[in-house]
Amino acid sequence: MVELSFEDIGLDTEKSFEFIISDLEKQKFLEITGDINPLHNDKSFAQKQGFADEVVYGMLTASYLSTFAGVYLPGKYSIIHSVEINFVKPVVLNDSPLKITGKVVAKDERFGQITIKYNITNRDGEKVCRGIMKVGLSNYNKN
Amino acid sequence: MNKNEIYKKLDGVFQDVFDDEKIHVDEKTTANDIEDWDSLEHINLVVAIEQCFGIKFSMNEVTTMKNVGEMVNIIIERING
Repeated sequence: MVELSFEDIGLDTEKSFEFIISDLEKQKFLEITGDINPLHNDKSFAQKQGFADEVVYGMLTASYLSTFAGVYLPGKYSIIHSVEINFVKPVVLNDSPLKITGKVVAKDERFGQITIKYNITNRDGEKVCRGIMKVGLSNYNKN
Repeated sequence: MNKNEIYKKLDGVFQDVFDDEKIHVDEKTTANDIEDWDSLEHINLVVAIEQCFGIKFSMNEVTTMKNVGEMVNIIIERING
């Protein structure tokens, strides 16, 4: 885990990391959230809805944004303010490893806030998710 | 742009940021008057107002503005040079 300060971060600072979503992660997500919707755990139902396979929970894929901000950029002093998520392509289990890449596109020194433009791609490099995250830093000193 | 026009534009920004068409601000309006106007929404509001009027508030102004009236005075100062 990094411990970046507001001053350490420049415009165009970029980080990325890969993660795996397997059936284990899907099951854990189901246990935590209780989302029993068959789109995510009934292949026949998913295919009838026009998907190739059971669809991985979008919010499970997006949950790794917490890891991105909390561990990689800015790391320890991260306070997520807002997240915009666009699910542009359904994710299936075979898509792993997935990769999150985020780049700082704005900094506001009045609020100690950075704006990160991110995307999540599957193992074929196709975007499955994209959006904007606004993150504050709890160690920010305005003075 | 005169004060009335500024307040009319500000109404639009506030209504958009707080997603409430019933909001109308005046010189005495503060965060206590609008539900959801918390510290996080304050950031979004300041940025939206800056974009609307094509101005930038300083750090000091952002932290010392007591009400919408003081905000409007700064906006007038900025847009009239």
